[in-house]
Amino acid sequence: MAKKVTAVVKLQLPAGKATPAPPVGPALGATGINIMAFCKDYNEKTSAQVGTIIPVEITVYSDRSFTYILKTPPAADLLRKAAGIQRGSGKTGTQGAGSITRAQLRQLAETKMPDLNANDVEAAEKIIAGTARSMGITIKD
Amino acid sequence: MQWLELSVTVDTEAVESVSELFAQYGYNGGVAVEEAIIPSLDSPEYQIDTNKPVIVRTYLLANEQAADAQTHIERGLWVLGMMRPVGDLQVKTIAEEDWANAWKEHYRTRRIGQRFVIVPSWLQHEATENDVVLNLDPGMAFGTGLHPTTQLCLELMELIEFNNTTVLDLGCGSGILAVGAAKLGSQRVLALDTDPIAVEATAENARINHSETLVTALEGSLGDAPLEHWLGWEGAQLGTPQSYRHHNEFDVILANILAKVHVVLGNDYLAALKPGGVLITSGIINEREADVVAAFEAVGLEQVERRTQGDWVAFTHRKPA
Repeated sequence: MAKKVTAVVKLQLPAGKATPAPPVGPALGATGINIMAFCKDYNEKTSAQVGTIIPVEITVYSDRSFTYILKTPPAADLLRKAAGIQRGSGKTGTQGAGSITRAQLRQLAETKMPDLNANDVEAAEKIIAGTARSMGITIKD
Repeated sequence: MQWLELSVTVDTEAVESVSELFAQYGYNGGVAVEEAIIPSLDSPEYQIDTNKPVIVRTYLLANEQAADAQTHIERGLWVLGMMRPVGDLQVKTIAEEDWANAWKEHYRTRRIGQRFVIVPSWLQHEATENDVVLNLDPGMAFGTGLHPTTQLCLELMELIEFNNTTVLDLGCGSGILAVGAAKLGSQRVLALDTDPIAVEATAENARINHSETLVTALEGSLGDAPLEHWLGWEGAQLGTPQSYRHHNEFDVILANILAKVHVVLGNDYLAALKPGGVLITSGIINEREADVVAAFEAVGLEQVERRTQGDWVAFTHRKPA
Protein backbone atom coordinates (compact mmCIF):
# COMPACT_ATOMS: atom_id res chain seq x y z
CA MET A 1 0.00 0.00 0.00
CA ALA A 2 1.06 3.51 -0.68
CA LYS A 3 1.48 4.44 2.91
CA LYS A 4 3.20 7.65 3.81
CA VAL A 5 4.00 8.58 7.37
CA THR A 6 2.25 11.69 8.69
CA ALA A 7 3.13 11.50 12.38
CA VAL A 8 5.24 9.54 14.82
CA VAL A 9 4.17 9.69 18.46
CA LYS A 10 6.13 8.13 21.30
CA LEU A 11 4.33 7.40 24.55
CA GLN A 12 5.44 5.96 27.86
CA LEU A 13 2.52 4.04 29.27
CA PRO A 14 1.89 1.63 32.12
CA ALA A 15 1.81 -1.89 30.66
CA GLY A 16 -1.71 -3.28 30.30
CA LYS A 17 -3.31 -0.04 31.49
CA ALA A 18 -3.55 2.36 28.56
CA THR A 19 -6.80 4.34 28.47
CA PRO A 20 -8.08 7.11 26.19
CA ALA A 21 -7.37 9.55 29.08
CA PRO A 22 -4.13 11.60 28.94
CA PRO A 23 -1.57 11.20 27.64
CA VAL A 24 -3.08 8.91 24.98
CA GLY A 25 -6.20 10.96 24.14
CA PRO A 26 -4.62 14.41 23.74
CA ALA A 27 -1.43 13.04 22.12
CA LEU A 28 -3.25 10.92 19.52
CA GLY A 29 -6.53 12.85 19.22
CA ALA A 30 -5.23 15.19 16.54
CA THR A 31 -3.98 12.28 14.41
CA GLY A 32 -7.53 10.95 14.02
CA ILE A 33 -6.56 7.32 14.59
CA ASN A 34 -8.78 4.75 16.28
CA ILE A 35 -7.72 5.35 19.90
CA MET A 36 -9.77 2.50 21.35
CA ALA A 37 -8.25 0.03 18.91
CA PHE A 38 -4.79 1.19 19.95
CA CYS A 39 -5.46 0.98 23.71
CA LYS A 40 -7.03 -2.45 23.43
CA ASP A 41 -4.19 -3.83 21.34
CA TYR A 42 -1.49 -2.28 23.53
CA ASN A 43 -3.07 -3.62 26.72
CA GLU A 44 -3.37 -7.09 25.27
CA LYS A 45 0.25 -7.19 24.13
CA THR A 46 1.65 -5.80 27.39
CA SER A 47 -0.66 -7.58 29.85
CA ALA A 48 2.13 -9.90 31.01
CA GLN A 49 4.28 -6.95 32.08
CA VAL A 50 1.77 -5.08 34.26
CA GLY A 51 3.61 -2.95 36.81
CA THR A 52 6.26 -1.76 34.37
CA ILE A 53 6.36 1.08 31.89
CA ILE A 54 6.46 -0.01 28.25
CA PRO A 55 7.16 2.81 25.81
CA VAL A 56 5.49 2.57 22.45
CA GLU A 57 6.11 4.30 19.13
CA ILE A 58 3.01 4.87 17.05
CA THR A 59 3.36 5.58 13.33
CA VAL A 60 0.38 7.25 11.69
CA TYR A 61 -0.12 6.97 7.93
CA SER A 62 -1.71 9.33 5.45
CA ASP A 63 -5.11 7.62 5.60
CA ARG A 64 -5.16 7.64 9.42
CA SER A 65 -4.36 3.98 9.72
CA PHE A 66 -1.47 3.25 12.08
CA THR A 67 1.04 0.74 13.34
CA TYR A 68 3.02 0.70 16.53
CA ILE A 69 6.04 -0.98 18.02
CA LEU A 70 6.83 -1.61 21.65
CA LYS A 71 10.16 -0.22 22.81
CA THR A 72 12.72 -1.06 25.46
CA PRO A 73 11.88 0.06 29.04
CA PRO A 74 12.83 3.64 29.96
CA ALA A 75 16.49 4.17 30.87
CA ALA A 76 15.42 5.16 34.38
CA ASP A 77 13.70 1.80 34.96
CA LEU A 78 16.74 -0.12 33.72
CA LEU A 79 19.01 2.00 35.91
CA ARG A 80 16.90 1.41 39.00
CA LYS A 81 17.00 -2.30 38.35
CA ALA A 82 20.77 -2.30 37.80
CA ALA A 83 21.36 -0.26 40.95
CA GLY A 84 18.87 -2.34 42.93
CA ILE A 85 16.76 0.60 44.09
CA GLN A 86 13.01 1.22 44.31
CA ARG A 87 11.06 3.63 42.22
CA GLY A 88 10.81 7.05 43.87
CA SER A 89 13.93 6.75 46.04
CA GLY A 90 16.05 9.82 45.45
CA LYS A 91 14.77 13.08 44.06
CA THR A 92 15.98 14.52 40.78
CA GLY A 93 19.55 15.68 41.13
CA THR A 94 20.18 14.43 44.67
CA GLN A 95 23.16 12.18 45.31
CA GLY A 96 23.42 8.81 46.94
CA ALA A 97 20.48 6.96 45.47
CA GLY A 98 22.75 4.09 44.43
CA SER A 99 25.42 3.16 41.97
CA ILE A 100 26.18 1.04 38.92
CA THR A 101 29.46 -0.10 37.38
CA ARG A 102 30.98 1.00 34.04
CA ALA A 103 30.26 -2.49 32.69
CA GLN A 104 26.59 -2.17 33.66
CA LEU A 105 26.48 1.24 32.00
CA ARG A 106 27.83 -0.25 28.77
CA GLN A 107 25.31 -3.07 28.95
CA LEU A 108 22.39 -0.65 29.47
CA ALA A 109 23.62 1.52 26.61
CA GLU A 110 23.67 -1.53 24.34
CA THR A 111 20.14 -2.52 25.41
CA LYS A 112 18.75 0.98 24.85
CA MET A 113 20.82 1.73 21.75
CA PRO A 114 18.06 0.97 19.17
CA ASP A 115 15.67 3.45 20.80
CA LEU A 116 17.96 6.34 21.66
CA ASN A 117 18.72 8.06 18.37
CA ALA A 118 22.38 7.78 19.31
CA ASN A 119 24.98 7.31 16.59
CA ASP A 120 27.15 4.86 18.51
CA VAL A 121 27.29 3.07 21.83
CA GLU A 122 29.49 5.82 23.34
CA ALA A 123 26.79 8.39 22.59
CA ALA A 124 24.18 6.04 24.09
CA GLU A 125 26.36 5.66 27.20
CA LYS A 126 26.49 9.43 27.54
CA ILE A 127 22.69 9.62 27.50
CA ILE A 128 22.30 6.82 30.05
CA ALA A 129 25.00 8.34 32.27
CA GLY A 130 23.16 11.68 32.11
CA THR A 131 19.94 10.02 33.18
CA ALA A 132 21.77 8.21 36.00
CA ARG A 133 23.28 11.47 37.23
CA SER A 134 19.90 13.16 37.18
CA MET A 135 18.51 10.33 39.33
CA GLY A 136 21.34 10.51 41.86
CA ILE A 137 22.87 7.23 40.68
CA THR A 138 26.66 7.32 40.50
CA ILE A 139 28.85 5.33 38.13
CA LYS A 140 31.79 3.48 39.68
CA ASP A 141 34.96 2.65 37.79
CA MET B 1 -13.06 18.20 34.58
CA GLN B 2 -9.96 19.98 33.37
CA TRP B 3 -6.41 18.90 32.73
CA LEU B 4 -3.04 20.63 32.76
CA GLU B 5 -0.71 19.85 29.89
CA LEU B 6 2.91 20.37 30.91
CA SER B 7 5.45 20.48 28.12
CA VAL B 8 9.11 21.27 27.76
CA THR B 9 11.46 21.49 24.79
CA VAL B 10 14.75 19.60 25.18
CA ASP B 11 17.57 18.10 23.13
CA THR B 12 17.84 14.37 22.35
CA GLU B 13 20.16 13.66 25.26
CA ALA B 14 17.80 15.06 27.88
CA VAL B 15 14.68 13.19 26.73
CA GLU B 16 15.16 10.20 29.02
CA SER B 17 15.84 12.29 32.14
CA VAL B 18 12.90 14.61 31.57
CA SER B 19 10.60 11.65 30.78
CA GLU B 20 11.62 10.03 34.07
CA LEU B 21 10.80 13.23 35.96
CA PHE B 22 7.44 13.63 34.19
CA ALA B 23 6.52 9.98 34.73
CA GLN B 24 6.87 10.42 38.49
CA TYR B 25 4.15 13.06 38.64
CA GLY B 26 2.14 12.75 35.43
CA TYR B 27 -1.31 11.15 35.30
CA ASN B 28 -1.08 7.36 35.02
CA GLY B 29 2.74 7.77 34.77
CA GLY B 30 2.16 8.71 31.16
CA VAL B 31 4.57 10.73 29.03
CA ALA B 32 4.35 11.75 25.38
CA VAL B 33 7.49 12.47 23.35
CA GLU B 34 7.25 14.33 20.07
CA GLU B 35 10.24 14.19 17.74
CA ALA B 36 10.38 15.90 14.37
CA ILE B 37 10.43 13.49 11.43
CA ILE B 38 11.43 13.64 7.78
CA PRO B 39 9.01 11.35 5.93
CA SER B 40 9.87 9.68 2.65
CA LEU B 41 7.98 10.83 -0.44
CA ASP B 42 5.77 7.79 -1.05
CA SER B 43 6.86 4.97 1.21
CA PRO B 44 6.56 4.19 4.91
CA GLU B 45 10.17 5.07 5.70
CA TYR B 46 11.04 8.12 7.73
CA GLN B 47 13.98 9.56 9.59
CA ILE B 48 14.07 11.30 12.94
CA ASP B 49 15.19 14.89 12.42
CA THR B 50 17.82 15.08 15.16
CA ASN B 51 18.52 18.75 14.38
CA LYS B 52 15.11 19.73 15.67
CA PRO B 53 14.34 19.85 19.39
CA VAL B 54 12.11 17.29 21.08
CA ILE B 55 8.94 18.17 23.00
CA VAL B 56 8.17 16.10 26.09
CA ARG B 57 4.67 16.29 27.58
CA THR B 58 2.79 15.01 30.56
CA TYR B 59 -0.66 15.66 31.99
CA LEU B 60 -2.03 16.43 35.44
CA LEU B 61 -5.62 16.48 36.62
CA ALA B 62 -6.35 20.13 37.43
CA ASN B 63 -7.09 19.56 41.14
CA GLU B 64 -5.63 20.75 44.46
CA GLN B 65 -2.60 18.46 44.12
CA ALA B 66 -1.67 19.83 40.71
CA ALA B 67 0.20 22.90 42.01
CA ASP B 68 2.33 20.68 44.23
CA ALA B 69 3.20 18.31 41.39
CA GLN B 70 3.99 21.25 39.12
CA THR B 71 6.37 22.69 41.71
CA HIS B 72 8.19 19.34 41.98
CA ILE B 73 8.48 19.16 38.21
CA GLU B 74 9.76 22.75 37.99
CA ARG B 75 12.40 22.02 40.63
CA GLY B 76 13.42 18.85 38.83
CA LEU B 77 13.72 20.69 35.52
CA TRP B 78 15.83 23.36 37.18
CA VAL B 79 18.28 20.69 38.37
CA LEU B 80 18.29 18.96 34.96
CA GLY B 81 18.83 22.37 33.36
CA MET B 82 22.23 22.54 35.00
CA MET B 83 23.31 19.40 33.11
CA ARG B 84 21.61 19.85 29.73
CA PRO B 85 19.81 22.71 28.02
CA VAL B 86 16.15 22.46 29.02
CA GLY B 87 13.49 24.90 27.87
CA ASP B 88 10.96 26.61 30.11
CA LEU B 89 8.01 24.57 31.35
CA GLN B 90 4.89 25.45 29.38
CA VAL B 91 1.56 24.87 31.11
CA LYS B 92 -1.72 24.80 29.24
CA THR B 93 -5.19 24.05 30.55
CA ILE B 94 -7.14 21.61 28.40
CA ALA B 95 -10.76 20.59 28.77
CA GLU B 96 -11.79 16.99 29.36
CA GLU B 97 -13.02 15.52 26.11
CA ASP B 98 -14.55 12.22 25.22
CA TRP B 99 -11.20 11.04 23.84
CA ALA B 100 -12.51 7.52 23.41
CA ASN B 101 -14.92 8.81 20.77
CA ALA B 102 -13.54 12.18 19.64
CA TRP B 103 -11.45 10.62 16.84
CA LYS B 104 -14.68 9.43 15.22
CA GLU B 105 -15.39 13.04 14.30
CA HIS B 106 -12.82 12.62 11.54
CA TYR B 107 -15.00 10.03 9.81
CA ARG B 108 -18.31 10.20 8.06
CA THR B 109 -20.08 8.19 5.44
CA ARG B 110 -18.16 8.73 2.21
CA ARG B 111 -19.20 8.27 -1.35
CA ILE B 112 -16.42 7.21 -3.72
CA GLY B 113 -16.96 7.11 -7.46
CA GLN B 114 -20.52 6.48 -8.64
CA ARG B 115 -21.50 3.55 -6.44
CA PHE B 116 -19.20 2.86 -3.50
CA VAL B 117 -20.28 4.10 -0.07
CA ILE B 118 -17.95 3.60 2.90
CA VAL B 119 -19.87 3.47 6.18
CA PRO B 120 -18.18 3.35 9.64
CA SER B 121 -19.91 0.93 12.04
CA TRP B 122 -21.26 3.67 14.32
CA LEU B 123 -23.14 5.37 11.50
CA GLN B 124 -26.28 4.35 9.64
CA HIS B 125 -26.74 4.51 5.90
CA GLU B 126 -29.92 4.12 3.87
CA ALA B 127 -28.59 2.40 0.77
CA THR B 128 -30.18 2.97 -2.60
CA GLU B 129 -30.40 0.13 -5.10
CA ASN B 130 -27.27 1.21 -6.92
CA ASP B 131 -25.09 1.64 -3.82
CA VAL B 132 -22.25 -0.76 -3.09
CA VAL B 133 -21.92 -0.39 0.68
CA LEU B 134 -18.61 -1.17 2.39
CA ASN B 135 -18.83 -1.30 6.20
CA LEU B 136 -15.39 -0.37 7.37
CA ASP B 137 -13.93 0.86 10.65
CA PRO B 138 -10.58 2.59 10.57
CA GLY B 139 -7.92 0.57 12.34
CA MET B 140 -4.36 -0.57 12.10
CA ALA B 141 -4.29 -1.63 8.45
CA PHE B 142 -3.95 0.77 5.53
CA GLY B 143 -7.06 1.32 3.44
CA THR B 144 -9.62 3.41 5.32
CA GLY B 145 -10.97 4.91 2.11
CA LEU B 146 -9.55 8.30 3.08
CA HIS B 147 -6.51 8.10 0.85
CA PRO B 148 -6.50 9.15 -2.82
CA THR B 149 -4.78 5.90 -3.87
CA THR B 150 -7.63 3.81 -2.42
CA GLN B 151 -10.27 6.09 -3.93
CA LEU B 152 -8.65 5.91 -7.38
CA CYS B 153 -8.72 2.10 -7.20
CA LEU B 154 -12.40 1.99 -6.28
CA GLU B 155 -13.22 4.44 -9.10
CA LEU B 156 -11.37 2.30 -11.65
CA MET B 157 -13.02 -0.86 -10.30
CA GLU B 158 -16.44 0.58 -11.15
CA LEU B 159 -15.48 0.69 -14.81
CA ILE B 160 -14.83 -3.03 -15.22
CA GLU B 161 -16.85 -6.25 -15.03
CA PHE B 162 -16.59 -8.26 -11.82
CA ASN B 163 -19.42 -10.78 -12.27
CA ASN B 164 -18.14 -14.34 -11.85
CA THR B 165 -14.50 -13.24 -11.84
CA THR B 166 -11.49 -14.53 -9.92
CA VAL B 167 -9.63 -11.61 -8.36
CA LEU B 168 -6.26 -11.07 -6.68
CA ASP B 169 -5.90 -8.12 -4.26
CA LEU B 170 -2.17 -7.69 -3.74
CA GLY B 171 -1.24 -5.63 -0.66
CA CYS B 172 -4.77 -5.89 0.70
CA GLY B 173 -4.33 -3.76 3.85
CA SER B 174 -7.77 -3.40 5.44
CA GLY B 175 -9.27 -5.51 2.64
CA ILE B 176 -11.32 -2.62 1.29
CA LEU B 177 -10.60 -3.50 -2.36
CA ALA B 178 -11.07 -7.26 -1.88
CA VAL B 179 -14.44 -6.73 -0.20
CA GLY B 180 -15.36 -4.18 -2.88
CA ALA B 181 -14.62 -6.76 -5.60
CA ALA B 182 -16.75 -9.36 -3.79
CA LYS B 183 -19.63 -6.89 -3.53
CA LEU B 184 -19.35 -6.11 -7.24
CA GLY B 185 -19.96 -9.76 -8.07
CA SER B 186 -16.61 -11.54 -7.95
CA GLN B 187 -16.81 -15.27 -7.18
CA ARG B 188 -13.42 -15.69 -5.58
CA VAL B 189 -11.02 -13.11 -4.20
CA LEU B 190 -7.52 -13.94 -3.00
CA ALA B 191 -6.21 -11.14 -0.74
CA LEU B 192 -2.48 -11.15 -0.05
CA ASP B 193 -0.41 -8.96 2.23
CA THR B 194 3.04 -9.31 3.74
CA ASP B 195 1.78 -7.80 7.00
CA PRO B 196 -0.07 -10.24 9.31
CA ILE B 197 -2.08 -7.36 10.81
CA ALA B 198 -3.44 -6.58 7.34
CA VAL B 199 -4.33 -10.23 6.74
CA GLU B 200 -6.26 -10.30 10.01
CA ALA B 201 -7.99 -6.98 9.23
CA THR B 202 -9.01 -8.20 5.79
CA ALA B 203 -10.53 -11.41 7.19
CA GLU B 204 -12.41 -9.38 9.81
CA ASN B 205 -13.70 -6.82 7.31
CA ALA B 206 -14.78 -9.60 4.93
CA ARG B 207 -16.77 -11.11 7.82
CA ILE B 208 -18.40 -7.76 8.74
CA ASN B 209 -19.41 -7.32 5.11
CA HIS B 210 -20.75 -10.90 4.81
CA SER B 211 -18.13 -11.68 2.16
CA GLU B 212 -16.06 -14.20 4.12
CA THR B 213 -17.03 -17.09 1.85
CA LEU B 214 -15.74 -15.16 -1.17
CA VAL B 215 -12.58 -13.55 0.24
CA THR B 216 -9.53 -15.58 1.32
CA ALA B 217 -6.84 -13.54 3.11
CA LEU B 218 -3.31 -14.94 3.27
CA GLU B 219 0.12 -13.71 4.26
CA GLY B 220 2.36 -13.49 1.24
CA SER B 221 3.20 -11.84 -2.03
CA LEU B 222 3.25 -12.58 -5.73
CA GLY B 223 6.01 -14.09 -7.82
CA ASP B 224 9.72 -14.00 -7.23
CA ALA B 225 10.31 -10.31 -6.62
CA PRO B 226 12.63 -9.69 -3.65
CA LEU B 227 10.52 -8.20 -0.88
CA GLU B 228 12.87 -6.67 1.65
CA HIS B 229 13.60 -3.48 -0.20
CA TRP B 230 10.07 -2.22 -0.54
CA LEU B 231 8.81 -3.02 2.89
CA GLY B 232 10.99 -0.35 4.44
CA TRP B 233 11.74 -0.62 8.13
CA GLU B 234 8.89 -3.03 8.77
CA GLY B 235 10.48 -5.61 6.50
CA ALA B 236 13.04 -6.54 9.10
CA GLN B 237 10.30 -7.48 11.56
CA LEU B 238 8.10 -9.32 9.14
CA GLY B 239 10.66 -11.78 7.86
CA THR B 240 10.33 -13.13 4.37
CA PRO B 241 6.72 -13.94 3.58
CA GLN B 242 5.62 -16.75 1.34
CA SER B 243 5.63 -15.93 -2.34
CA TYR B 244 2.79 -17.26 -4.47
CA ARG B 245 3.11 -18.11 -8.15
CA HIS B 246 0.06 -18.03 -10.31
CA HIS B 247 -0.36 -18.59 -14.04
CA ASN B 248 -3.31 -17.47 -16.15
CA GLU B 249 -5.47 -17.54 -13.05
CA PHE B 250 -6.96 -14.12 -12.41
CA ASP B 251 -9.51 -12.11 -14.36
CA VAL B 252 -8.61 -9.04 -12.31
CA ILE B 253 -5.60 -8.03 -10.22
CA LEU B 254 -5.93 -5.08 -7.85
CA ALA B 255 -2.65 -3.70 -6.53
CA ASN B 256 -2.49 -0.54 -4.46
CA ILE B 257 1.16 -0.69 -3.49
CA LEU B 258 4.12 1.49 -4.46
CA ALA B 259 5.51 2.56 -7.83
CA LYS B 260 8.84 0.78 -7.28
CA VAL B 261 7.04 -2.47 -6.49
CA HIS B 262 4.89 -2.27 -9.61
CA VAL B 263 8.07 -1.83 -11.63
CA VAL B 264 9.52 -5.05 -10.19
CA LEU B 265 6.29 -7.04 -10.51
CA GLY B 266 5.48 -6.34 -14.20
CA ASN B 267 6.24 -9.90 -15.35
CA ASP B 268 4.51 -11.49 -12.36
CA TYR B 269 1.32 -9.53 -13.04
CA LEU B 270 1.39 -10.60 -16.67
CA ALA B 271 1.92 -14.27 -15.78
CA ALA B 272 -0.82 -14.32 -13.13
CA LEU B 273 -3.49 -12.71 -15.35
CA LYS B 274 -5.70 -14.73 -17.68
CA PRO B 275 -5.44 -13.63 -21.34
CA GLY B 276 -7.58 -10.50 -21.61
CA GLY B 277 -7.37 -10.03 -17.82
CA VAL B 278 -7.36 -6.60 -16.20
CA LEU B 279 -4.75 -5.07 -13.91
CA ILE B 280 -5.56 -2.04 -11.72
CA THR B 281 -2.50 -0.43 -10.15
CA SER B 282 -2.43 2.45 -7.70
CA GLY B 283 -0.14 4.00 -5.10
CA ILE B 284 1.94 5.65 -7.81
CA ILE B 285 3.28 9.10 -6.95
CA ASN B 286 3.36 11.25 -10.10
CA GLU B 287 7.17 11.56 -10.11
CA ARG B 288 7.46 7.78 -10.55
CA GLU B 289 4.67 7.43 -13.11
CA ALA B 290 7.03 7.17 -16.09
CA ASP B 291 8.87 4.22 -14.49
CA VAL B 292 5.65 2.25 -14.11
CA VAL B 293 4.43 3.09 -17.62
CA ALA B 294 7.75 1.95 -19.09
CA ALA B 295 7.88 -1.26 -17.01
CA PHE B 296 4.36 -2.34 -18.00
CA GLU B 297 4.92 -1.43 -21.64
CA ALA B 298 8.09 -3.52 -21.63
CA VAL B 299 6.21 -6.68 -20.60
CA GLY B 300 3.36 -6.07 -23.05
CA LEU B 301 0.54 -4.86 -20.80
CA GLU B 302 -1.80 -2.48 -22.65
CA GLN B 303 -2.83 0.72 -20.91
CA VAL B 304 -6.61 1.19 -20.89
CA GLU B 305 -7.26 3.92 -18.33
CA ARG B 306 -5.35 6.54 -16.36
CA ARG B 307 -6.71 8.53 -13.40
CA THR B 308 -5.13 11.09 -11.12
CA GLN B 309 -5.99 12.64 -7.79
CA GLY B 310 -3.60 15.11 -6.16
CA ASP B 311 -0.06 13.73 -6.51
CA TRP B 312 -1.28 10.19 -7.18
CA VAL B 313 -1.79 8.23 -10.37
CA ALA B 314 -3.66 4.96 -10.98
CA PHE B 315 -3.90 2.80 -14.10
CA THR B 316 -5.98 0.10 -15.68
CA HIS B 317 -4.00 -2.23 -17.98
CA ARG B 318 -5.06 -5.26 -19.97
CA LYS B 319 -3.18 -8.45 -20.80
CA PRO B 320 -3.51 -9.12 -24.55
CA ALA B 321 -6.12 -11.80 -25.27
